[in-house]
Amino acid sequence: MGDLLYQTAVRAFFRKEGRVKYISHLDLVRCVSRALKRSGLPVWHTLGFNPHIYTTFALPLALGYESRCESMDFRLVEDRPMEEVQERLNEVLPSGIQVYQAKPPKMKPESIAWADYDIVMEVDSLSGEGLLEKFQEWLSQPQLITMKRGKKGEKAIDLKPHLQVWNLQANPSQLRMTMRTAAGTTLNINPTLALDAFALQGGEKADWLSVTRTAILTKELEPFE
Amino acid sequence: MENVQKALERVLLQVQRPARYTGGELGSIVKDPSQVQVRFAFCFPDLYEVGMSHLGMKILYALQNAREDCWCERVFAPGPDLEGLMREHHIPLYGLESFDPIADFDIIGFTLQYEMSFTAILNMLDLAGLPVRSSQREALAPIVVAGGPCACNPEPLADFIDLFLLGEGEELNMDLIDLYKACKQEGVSKKEFLRRAAQIPGVYVPSLYEVTYHQDGTIQQVLPRDGAPAVVHKRIVKDLDKVFYPENFVVPFTEAVHDRAMVEVLRGCIRGCRFCQAGFIYRPFREKKPDTVDKNAHALCDHTGYDEVSLTSLSTSDFSGLEPLLEKMLTWTEPDGVSIALPSLRVDNFSKELMDRVAAVRKSSLTFAPEAGTQRMRDVINKNVTEEEVLRTCRTAFEGGYTNVKLYFMIGLPTETDEDVAGIIHLAQKVVEEFYHTPNRPKGRGVNVTVSVACFVPKPFTPFEFEPQDGIESLRRKQKILLETVKSKKISVKYHDSPTSFLEAALARGDRKMCAMIEHAWRQGSKLDGWSDYFSMERWEEAAQACGIDLGFYANRSRSYDEVMPWDHLDYGVSKAFLIRENQKAHSDAATPNCRQHCSGCGANHLLGGACFG
Ligand code: SF4
Repeated sequence: MGDLLYQTAVRAFFRKEGRVKYISHLDLVRCVSRALKRSGLPVWHTLGFNPHIYTTFALPLALGYESRCESMDFRLVEDRPMEEVQERLNEVLPSGIQVYQAKPPKMKPESIAWADYDIVMEVDSLSGEGLLEKFQEWLSQPQLITMKRGKKGEKAIDLKPHLQVWNLQANPSQLRMTMRTAAGTTLNINPTLALDAFALQGGEKADWLSVTRTAILTKELEPFE
Repeated sequence: MENVQKALERVLLQVQRPARYTGGELGSIVKDPSQVQVRFAFCFPDLYEVGMSHLGMKILYALQNAREDCWCERVFAPGPDLEGLMREHHIPLYGLESFDPIADFDIIGFTLQYEMSFTAILNMLDLAGLPVRSSQREALAPIVVAGGPCACNPEPLADFIDLFLLGEGEELNMDLIDLYKACKQEGVSKKEFLRRAAQIPGVYVPSLYEVTYHQDGTIQQVLPRDGAPAVVHKRIVKDLDKVFYPENFVVPFTEAVHDRAMVEVLRGCIRGCRFCQAGFIYRPFREKKPDTVDKNAHALCDHTGYDEVSLTSLSTSDFSGLEPLLEKMLTWTEPDGVSIALPSLRVDNFSKELMDRVAAVRKSSLTFAPEAGTQRMRDVINKNVTEEEVLRTCRTAFEGGYTNVKLYFMIGLPTETDEDVAGIIHLAQKVVEEFYHTPNRPKGRGVNVTVSVACFVPKPFTPFEFEPQDGIESLRRKQKILLETVKSKKISVKYHDSPTSFLEAALARGDRKMCAMIEHAWRQGSKLDGWSDYFSMERWEEAAQACGIDLGFYANRSRSYDEVMPWDHLDYGVSKAFLIRENQKAHSDAATPNCRQHCSGCGANHLLGGACFG
């Protein structure tokens, strides 16, 4: 199989929900490769001494996050209807990982600029209202300076231009919001970075947190396809 | 109280590799709890990555879940980081499939793979919120049961476990679940359930036996009560071609120690190496047909997507159908890119042809186990391998391109002299020389011989069950002899720690008086003793002292043939008379032929109701 050139590239869009949020990106890659193998699809393998199934993921998801918009690319050596690809994959993927669409890739991963997240947080010592108040206070500062770890150690960064929050709501015990953060290869901001900054700068650390990625967007705010 | 899942979500991102604690793997089985009558928590008293490599658990998990009335879930010992958080946040030990607390299950079953996991069992019961002593668990549910190789001397756990399952689990577990289900419907007491369970062949209920002791601490007698049988016979499955074998495994997301498909090719062993407990307690020898193994392997690889399958058993090269099996398997493993692993090849029948066929798929490092350095010593332990055979095998390996050889040995064997110890290194040296005498050895590369040396631990149901273990001082001296005998940079020596072996020896042949000590050691913090990071010999010594136990009495004492052993009321097929005969032969340096050559009348054939071969 390793000596064939590939025929079609496929981008499979999937959800990662429920307990599988605790599997790391590395484990996810292995899990998906095994699923591709079990699917019986004519998957293209890398060339060379140790051929393996080739997969790439547009924007790796942080451990502990759920997502409704992940995507991975792989290649087939023969054309197959995309509905069949989707069906066959879902037959062999563990529950919680579900492909909702498969199609040829339209955009390059480099075109990713933003990602949206639904966030629910609880702080045991605060009501939802109390938490909302503190969060708004933090968010309303002209600058949101925090330390970000990069390849060359820690660096101070202002989150303000790379972050938007809306849908802020409180219920008796929780704070809910939608957060859009800069995403992609040049600058990637995880909501955790913002929430950690909030905790350090007069806020509180979440005792329970749920983060779900709901959209991956381009610079023009078009969905990544 | 908040449910376990949400409570876990509050802490999981603070622990290493959280995917070990959340289940949901491919092949894991989730059922509707309202549709089952029996909930079974299969507990492996070690970390996830260790337990998930274990074949017995995979078989029983699939078998129990094949029953509509039963839901079997997996439970492992949490790592110290999660354990701390579970205790701090009052999160009870839960089943990986449902996240339900196992204290609410019907049956909690532990597998006893090694003595060093005993404290992990107590710790898991405690994390579940249950009293560790069975006398303090009054209700029928959960019943705490245990099986596996260490159940052959379960006495050190007698106060904690309600009943033990002796021998092979496939039929026995089904019988137990049937009885439990009936008793639950009937609403009987735990006491009555245990009384009835003791009537199932293979079930040992320790609370129904009274043990009395002589003044010197040895056992006087063991008396059954309430109609329990005087001797409990282990169970076996007679026909391996008909036995249930899983078509699917739970495939872990995170890597386990052995993360691959495994098929069992045979049970038992024909060899009779006198130090090897597995070689005796799994008798008699039974094989699957090559067709059965091939089908099992193919189904498993298709369902799991694994690209490696191992043919497992105590001695896979003794499988009589190995050549036809490999031929059959290669027809699909090669096109599917699946490699075949043969983990327990023996030095004395490792042919070049066989090696080539496995190497055709993947070449791995080569390991042999001569176990002892001199011919006399190998005769004593009945390891029927000659030096010539070791060297010939190594030459074949070198010709096949191997330059790394790992040799396994033991020190502290009965009748061992300093000469026998030095003989280990002499043998390794000869292997090095053999490399340079092999004309078509790999060019431009040197040879590496790793000598891995373990301390001998006398085990129940072996001809050496009567033998004293070598003392720690003596073992340390012998380790020094090993190092001093090495004269070549091409030989490296690795040895296991002697305190661990000492404790293992004491626990392996322990009796009920040890229960208090085990509980004490656990209360002082012993819980993952198999991991050197967490093991503390001082803690055990302190526990022994506090409970008036002399560990040396169990580890270093020589037993007379007529002493009542703590496990003498359990029958694993091999008779004590046979073990005594073998012990005597060992002391006269005499070997015993293997079961294929000649039946030595060990008694295990009674379990089959006929001869083992032919
Ligand atoms: S009865 Fe004979 S052939 Fe069977 S296991 Fe015992 S010694 Fe071997």
